[in-house]
Formats: sequence, structure tokens, C-alpha cells
Amino acid sequence: MQPFVAALALLGLTAALACGVYAMSAYTALPGTPAAAPYLSGGLPLEHAVSRYHVRWYVITLVFLAFDMEMVFMYPWALVVTSVGPKAVVEMFGFLALLLVGVLYAWREGAFRWA
Amino acid sequence: MSESLLVLPLLVAVLTVAAAAFDAVLGASAAGVPGAWRAWDAPLRETARLLVRQRRSTLAADRLLRRAGVLVLPVAAVLAAAVLPLGGARAASDMSVGIVWFNAMEVAVWAGVWLAGWGVNSAYPLVGGYRMIAQGLAYELPHMFALITVAVGAESLRFSDVVTAQHDLWFAVQMPVAFLVYLLSALAMAFWGPMSSPVGADLAGGAAAELSGADRLVFSAGRHAMLAVAAAAAVPLFLGGGAGPLLPAWLWALLKTLAVLAVLVWTAHRLPVLRMDRFMTFAWTALIPATLLQLLVTGLVAL
Amino acid sequence: MGLRARLLRYAAGRPRPLVVAVPGFTGVRLAVEADLRRRGWRPALAPAEADLLIVCGRPGPDLARAIDTVWDQMPSPRARADAPTASDVPSALDAASAHLADEPAQLEDAAQRASYTPETSMDHSTMDHGDMDHGDMDHSAMGHGDMDHGAMGHEGHESMDHEAMGHESMGHEAMGHEGHGGHGGHGGGHDHHMMGAPHGLAMADRAPDRDGLKLDVLHVPFGPVLADWPAGLKVTFTLQGDVVQAAEVEHLAGDAGAGRFWDGTNVVAARLDALARLLAVAGWTGQAAQARVLRDQALDGKVEKARLEKFVRRTRRSRTLRWMLQDVGLGETNAWTRASGWLAEIGGETRPDTSAATPPLGELLVGLDVAAARLLVAALDPDTEGAVAEHV
Repeated sequence: MQPFVAALALLGLTAALACGVYAMSAYTALPGTPAAAPYLSGGLPLEHAVSRYHVRWYVITLVFLAFDMEMVFMYPWALVVTSVGPKAVVEMFGFLALLLVGVLYAWREGAFRWA
Repeated sequence: MSESLLVLPLLVAVLTVAAAAFDAVLGASAAGVPGAWRAWDAPLRETARLLVRQRRSTLAADRLLRRAGVLVLPVAAVLAAAVLPLGGARAASDMSVGIVWFNAMEVAVWAGVWLAGWGVNSAYPLVGGYRMIAQGLAYELPHMFALITVAVGAESLRFSDVVTAQHDLWFAVQMPVAFLVYLLSALAMAFWGPMSSPVGADLAGGAAAELSGADRLVFSAGRHAMLAVAAAAAVPLFLGGGAGPLLPAWLWALLKTLAVLAVLVWTAHRLPVLRMDRFMTFAWTALIPATLLQLLVTGLVAL
Repeated sequence: MGLRARLLRYAAGRPRPLVVAVPGFTGVRLAVEADLRRRGWRPALAPAEADLLIVCGRPGPDLARAIDTVWDQMPSPRARADAPTASDVPSALDAASAHLADEPAQLEDAAQRASYTPETSMDHSTMDHGDMDHGDMDHSAMGHGDMDHGAMGHEGHESMDHEAMGHESMGHEAMGHEGHGGHGGHGGGHDHHMMGAPHGLAMADRAPDRDGLKLDVLHVPFGPVLADWPAGLKVTFTLQGDVVQAAEVEHLAGDAGAGRFWDGTNVVAARLDALARLLAVAGWTGQAAQARVLRDQALDGKVEKARLEKFVRRTRRSRTLRWMLQDVGLGETNAWTRASGWLAEIGGETRPDTSAATPPLGELLVGLDVAAARLLVAALDPDTEGAVAEHV
């Protein structure tokens, strides 16, 4: 577990440094914390910006998730590919080929263009 | 190990300032500023400027989300650097799954940018934050395949093993496609240059548009640090780590890091920003097949 | 001298200005850009980033109001430089830099800053509550968290309770927000329509989308106070996600004294100016800066031939730029052919005839995403110079 302890120590160290910046700014910055209107090129907002944002690349996220799950298998696969031999390569690329068919279909459906 | 633990944040900070200074000088030189080299102190002046700025919020901003998003950037950058061997020295955290860790830290940046964009309750940053997610969907898979190719070539996910595996021939030569894709995703993970649409000029600064004072300072420093760390990671992954004649290993690693960093910063001044709705198609129909082909070739060679 | 005073002085040596172009005062803007270059001051993109606001010329009343809004959004330390004529520019910038380094003055300014509240600042004429169509809004869901407003959910809850509004019981601390003054105005003019309107501002309403869905709509103005944007132009996008559903175009005018700068005798400089904006919006900052240097050389009549040729060659050969521009349609042409036409004129070739009428800007923008829309405006480069406020 030693490497992860080191990572945890670094996490603390970096967070402390960043907090130091905030502390420093609390000391040096001009007083007051005004809340400004959101910048809209000189306009004022008609509604809050936080909203149900219509992501047009919704379909891509799903295709991406399929690949991302595949990546979970791929990291251990990378370690054993030489010891297992050609069988490992054939299996992994068969799997990838299936996923790529999905990409091809999404592409044909125009999922990668949205505007 | 304890010494590299303390040296690491310092090293990242120095590279961060170097990247910002080089960027400022390049910018001033392109803008025709007389005596452009004098712009080298831009990061210092910017730091001073942001430290005296009044703290600022926006109407109904979510302070917690905004600050969490901002803090993610420098933390992710330093934690990603933790697994990198510093030339001949051991990494601060020499994990057996270093490549996966590096990958995970870099993806945390997406969340940081999105949170910073969403948390300020302003329209331009909101659009910018979502652009970061779209960009992630475009670059991440080619990037992961490039990293997997390295892991297959080295038969290990540990960075120090990757360096050892390049004893005879650098991976940049063995797997050039993976190297080029990695350089592109290095820009993307710091949303820099051609991949800077999340903080693009067309959105008046995008996700960072409403950040001021310490928030902006930490966000900007974290972004530069991420670029520096991405450049530093290219050295053990593709450029043989500290290997080189005459000079000590740590110096070679530093020189190679600075060279990659300079190339990345320079590229930003030479290319327009990529629109994600155009780049998405390219990434999925050209980059993914190309990196998979590279992986297949490397896999067959490794057998 | 204290630490803060030292930092202020060091930072004031190179402030980050937000430059506001005013229609009819192009000469002042060019003088400002040249002076900023000489001083090495890098322009900012947004008020949160800037500490100096430079107004190039005399704005008309509407534009002046927009500029004041942005001025209010700049955190202290801040300075404002109004340059009505080109000859005022150096002294105005010197004074602004000195003001930024002046700690007592900045402390005084900081002490007077108040938070923005829609009640006190909102222009009620633009926010006609009667017209707001709340008919299809699901009131039962508003502010109850079902609506998936993320962080806004609990605030919506708070404001459901109208009795609590504007009183101490609103629990600002618990909500985790920074100071909000002036909540006293909550009562005036707001009836139950403002239910689910935390902080006196409505949540986004829904409207049909081209995908056949019913989703939240944001009304997002671009311009007039925006970097690399035609002077005085204001386009309000109706956005769903980042795709433009509708666009409303307005022109905000300059004040008396505004005049036409590009009169046809300096075509090369005019095209370089337009290209600089297009390249900046496209994110090619280095090349945009080159275009500005060459533009100023062309105006002085001593352009470096080799440098100009290199600029034209490099821009033309950029595959990335072509890739990003060629699907941005301007009627019969597109943004890339438009830019190529400008490059041809700059290079001294006769320009291919692209005088074919383009559809109105508002129609062209519909269906584009924000990035493409901004490229389109920059490539169309509508002439806003002639707009002068008439009612002054």
C-alpha cells in the first residue's frame, strides 16, 4: 500500500498549497465579496443559467460507455497478452471489431454531427 | 521516496511557471510587442494581480461546486505526476498500475472544468463546461488506446517498467501513431491550444469566464500544471525516460520534458481551435481505427 | 509600504484591459490596439478577467448602459479609461494604470461595491412578466427537486415560501451563498408568477426543440461588449444546449462624432481588420495578432511585403482553418470562401465576385452551435460603422 500512502500525502500537500493561495488572497485582496450579474456582453440575465442542458452528443456518451467498459478488460489484458499468446490478441480484437460495428452504425446515423 | 514527495510539487510548480512564461513571450512576440522577451514575468504579474483582486461571486452561484471544480485541477495535475519516474530517481508513488492512475487523474479534470463552469450560474461558462465533456468523449478513447499500446509494448502498467522496456528503442519510434495521438491528448487534457474550446475566446473565456482572484489563479495554475505534467509523462512513456549519453538521467528527463512542453506551447500559437462537432467525427472515424491498428501491430510484434 | 500596495503597483505595470469597440469610432479602437501592443498589455476576454475597461469612442445611450453593466461586473481593483478620440488614448491609459496602483482609491472603490440583485438592477421593460408564458410550466414540480435542477433545487424550495423572502429567516448562511444585499425589493411587482424564481430570477422555461423534445431554453446575448465582435452589434441567441434556436439582431449606436473609418481607400487594412477578428474567434491567436500588426502597417502605408505574403500564404494553407470554416454557410458562400476572398484582396489579386446577397444574419444563425455562430458573425462581418444614435 506504500505508493497509495504517498499519493495520499501528495493529495494533502497539494490541497494545503492551494488553500495557502486562498489564505494569501484573503490577506492581500481588497475587502468585500460582491456578487456580480453573470457576464452576458453587457446584457442582464432573463433566467438562471443552470438548467437542463440539451446535450446533443447524448448518443455518443452511450457508445463511449460501451468502449469504456471494454477498457476495464483491456488494462489487465495488456499485461498477459504475451504470455497467453495469439489467442488473447484474436479475442480482444474480435471484441473490438464488434464494438466498431456499433461505431459504424452510430456514424451512419449521424450521431457524431449535431449542430 | 520522501524526498521526491517534497520535490515533486516544487518541480511541477517550476514547470508550470516556465510554461506560462514561454507562452507569454510567444504571445507577445506574435503580437509584435517591442522587446517581447520582457513578457517572461507575465505569470508573476498575473499572480500579483489576482492576489489583490476582490473576491467575487456571481448571482446565486454555487460556491462549493465552483471551488471544488477549481481545486480539482492542480490536485489532479500533481497526483498524475506522482507516478512519473523523475529521471533516474524513483517516482514519488511507484504504483504497479501507474498508467491507469495517470489516466484516472487526467479524467478528473473533466469534472473540474464542468463543475467550475456549472457552479458560477452563468451562460458562457455553462456552455464551456459542457464543451469539456464533449471534448473528453472525442479524445479519451484514442488516448486510452495509445496508453494501452505502451502497456502492451512494456508488458506492464508501471512507469518504471515502461522506461526499462525502451532500453533498445524508444516507443516514439516503435509506435509513432500512439505518440502523436498522445501529444494531441496532452493538449486536450490541459484544454490547451487547438483543444481549448472549453475556455475558448468565442465564449469570452468559457468555463473560466466568471472566475476571478484566487479562484482564477488556482484554475489557471492547475491548467498550466496539467500541461506540464502531460509533457513530463510523454518522456517515460515514449522518449526513453532519462536515457541519454553523457548527461545524468535526471537532466535528460528534464531536458526532454522541456522540449515536449515547448512544442505543446508553440503548437497552441500555430493552430486554430478545433470545433468539437467537427473533431468528434474525426476522432471516432479516423483516430480510433488508427490507434487500434497501432495496438494490433504492437500486439503482434510483442507475441 | 504594505504588501498589498506593492502587489497593486507591480500588477498595475501591465493590466489586462477589456476593450469596448463603439460603432463609428474605429479610429480610436485602432489607436487603443496599437497602444496596448506598444505597452505589452494583453487584452482580457471578460470582466472577471479584466481590471481595466477601455471605451473606444463615445457610445450612444443604450451602448453606454451595457458598458456600465460590464463595469459593475469587474471586481476591484479596477480602472476605466474613456477615450473619446484617438489622441486621448495614451493619457487615458497612463491615468488608468496610475489609478490601479493607487491603494487608497481602490480601497474606497471596493468599499462601495454592492451585490447585483435582479430586483434593483433589472430593466423591467425588457422583462415583461405579463408575456411570460407560464402556462405549460409544471408548477407542482417547480422547486421541489424533481425538476433536477441540481444545486438550484433547494433554493427553489426556499423561495416557494414567499413569506420568508427578503427576511432574515431566509438563512443565507445555510444556503452557502455570499452576501446578497437589497432583498427588500422582493415584494414589488412580483406576484405568484415568480414562484420558483430563486434570488428574484426565473428558472429557465421549456420550449419545443427541433429534436421533438421539450427542453429548457436560455436567452443569451452576445455583444455589444464582447471581444472580437462587430462594434455595437447585439445578437440574442435563444439556446437549447449550445444550439441556436432563434436569434434576434439589434444595433446599438455610437454617439455624435461617429463617422465612417473604412472609406474604400484602405481596403487592405479593412480586410486585415476583419480577418484579425475572424482568426481570433477561430482561436488562432498568433495569426490574429499578425493580422493586426500588418493592418497598422498598411494604414501607415509602409507594409512589409514579405511579411504580408507570408501571412496570406500561411492562412490560405491552413487545413485546420478551412476544416473549421467551410461548413459555416453564408447563403451561397461559406465562411472559408469569404476569408479566401479577403486574402485574395490583401494579396493584390482581384477579388472573386461574392457580392451575392446573403440572407439576414438572424436567419443564418438558426441551427448552428455557438462556436459556428460566432465564426459566422465574424466571417459575415456586418457593417455597423454607420449606426449613430438618432434620438440624442
